[in-house]
Amino acid sequence: MNNPFNFSNFTRQSPKGIFVIYTNLLFKGIKVTWFLLILIIKDFSKIKELGATYFYLGLGAVLLFLLIRAYLTYKNFQFKVENNHFILKSGVLKKTNTAIPFHRIQNINFKQNIIQQIICVFEVSIETAGSSDTEIAIKALSLSKAKALKEIISKNSEFGKEFITNDNSKPFVRIGFLELFKVSLTENHLQNLFLFFAVLLGFYQQIEQIVDSLGKADSLDGFIEAKTNSVSTSFLFIFILLIALIIIAFLSSFVRIFLVHFNLSAYLKEDSFEINQGLLTKKTIVLKKQKVQNITISTNPFKKLVGISFITFKQAVSGEINKKKNKLIRIVGCKKEQVELIKESLFSVDEIENSEKKFSNNYYKRRLLLITFSMLTVLYVVLYFILNETTFLYSLILVVPLILFLIIKKVKKRYYKITDSMLLVSKGVFEAHLTYLEIFKVQNIKMKQTIFQERSNVTDLILQTASGKIKIPSIDIEDAIKIYNHTLYKVETSKTSWM
Amino acid sequence: MTDFFQNIAVTTLPDITEIKFKNIDKNYLKVILISFLLIFSPFLTGLILLDQFVFPEEIKENMIFIYSGFIVLFVYGLLHLLLGLPKRKYALREKDISYKSGLFVKKTTTVPFSRIQHVETDEKPISRLFGLASLSVYTAGDSSDDLEINGITIETALQIKEFISIKINE
Repeated sequence: MNNPFNFSNFTRQSPKGIFVIYTNLLFKGIKVTWFLLILIIKDFSKIKELGATYFYLGLGAVLLFLLIRAYLTYKNFQFKVENNHFILKSGVLKKTNTAIPFHRIQNINFKQNIIQQIICVFEVSIETAGSSDTEIAIKALSLSKAKALKEIISKNSEFGKEFITNDNSKPFVRIGFLELFKVSLTENHLQNLFLFFAVLLGFYQQIEQIVDSLGKADSLDGFIEAKTNSVSTSFLFIFILLIALIIIAFLSSFVRIFLVHFNLSAYLKEDSFEINQGLLTKKTIVLKKQKVQNITISTNPFKKLVGISFITFKQAVSGEINKKKNKLIRIVGCKKEQVELIKESLFSVDEIENSEKKFSNNYYKRRLLLITFSMLTVLYVVLYFILNETTFLYSLILVVPLILFLIIKKVKKRYYKITDSMLLVSKGVFEAHLTYLEIFKVQNIKMKQTIFQERSNVTDLILQTASGKIKIPSIDIEDAIKIYNHTLYKVETSKTSWM
Repeated sequence: MTDFFQNIAVTTLPDITEIKFKNIDKNYLKVILISFLLIFSPFLTGLILLDQFVFPEEIKENMIFIYSGFIVLFVYGLLHLLLGLPKRKYALREKDISYKSGLFVKKTTTVPFSRIQHVETDEKPISRLFGLASLSVYTAGDSSDDLEINGITIETALQIKEFISIKINE
């Protein structure tokens, strides 16, 4: 492959990068000081009286300072490729020198936020499985240069020998407007509503704190109290509120889905997937098949009805799993054939899908029933003592069957299938999550057994992978030991690299 | 080296139920007792001080219950540790290391050598008095839950570490 750029000497990013860094800095500044800015704009007339020239001078100084900083950041950001290492020098005051061996690089992603889209540059981020400090983002590269860099890195490492970025190749998944609409319609709206309120609550608390410090807390509290009083008196109001909530839930699902997954298209290549998506920030993710630790295929009854599901790819992470949510790569709105294609391309699934479902022992159901019903009893006893009346007990007619229904659903979804090389674990209540794992990718294995489980001859089995734990609760001890031994055998005799 | 640990070779399917687990060092009992007392005595002193100087009469009348509650907690904690001690066992095989523990919740963990990222030995202050150390093994991913063996002699810890290091680089 003749490459116009060879990166053997230290190179800087495109000079347009100064602008990208500058706008980034500005955005960050605004994000931190947004409330202050609102106050300034509100009382601008007062500032004018005090002397507008000083204000403009100050503002100019800040802007100039940021510009100089952006320039210096650009000037000091240099990278090159040497001996199968990506080498980066950066830092204005604190100089850092990073070298990443190619085989450690997990994927190379292209990203474009609005500004980068306008000035036609790409952000290239290089992800590793190591700590987050070694994650590198080159803010502005031209498309040809970005592609060249990706090619060099992927060509020289053991993966991607034939990394042909063929723009004419057809995507195997393309999610258009209509499909995306379907996806957002069938989202878990309840969850989105909670998310929305969590954000709102955080926002409200922030405002309250600031208002509080300004000594205006009473008026705001009074306002909200007046509102809540009218809520409790009017049924119509509650009805309207309910409708509003539903609309909010739907809207927040739409906004979220459209922002992240707009124009989603996925390409299947010999040893990797390429996924493009995003509305404001366009993102291109290249995912090496070998580095995928496990995949989860999820659906819920609504999605099933329209025949779609979403796939989550999990890669190796280090440190705390939760902090790296962004490492979860998701393709939403896959049709059945597309799901099959993805599974097929990663591993052979026929055998595992046709093998026998093995459910958790009855102990699992008994424990769920025991725990939920004892909690329910405690709740109702406490309620009884607080309310001191018995009418609310009628709600049990609804609550008990509902809980039973949920538990039966949960137990039914809790099963696993195992073959010589693959493990399939299913879980969920309404949603169904099927996790496919190649057994040799297990990092370590654990059996956990309480004394109650011991009496029923069952045990929990926990398989630790580089992308998190997979738990199979309360299965028969003989089966657990068989899986335990088999997993160890597979891991210890495998010659294939797990990432 | 290999003879020292009497490793069981993994030629066919390894069987976890047939491994001979080794107990941790007897001296670790003393380490546990000392650290347990070190943790509990500040609480006791605090309680006595509160009793003498801070608590009003109403609480003082019921002091007997508070003290007995404290003693029950103390005895329970101690018994849990003492009875749990013989349950802590480890084993090395040709290709993996295993650790068992737990009185009420029994755990068995096995880490294959081929997945180990690094091995660490620690000599904590009290353990060092009795010539003991701990051995931790880390794998990729969420490393909070990997394998740690407390209470083996420093020599054993170093030998295991050396053994694993050789195995990793094979």
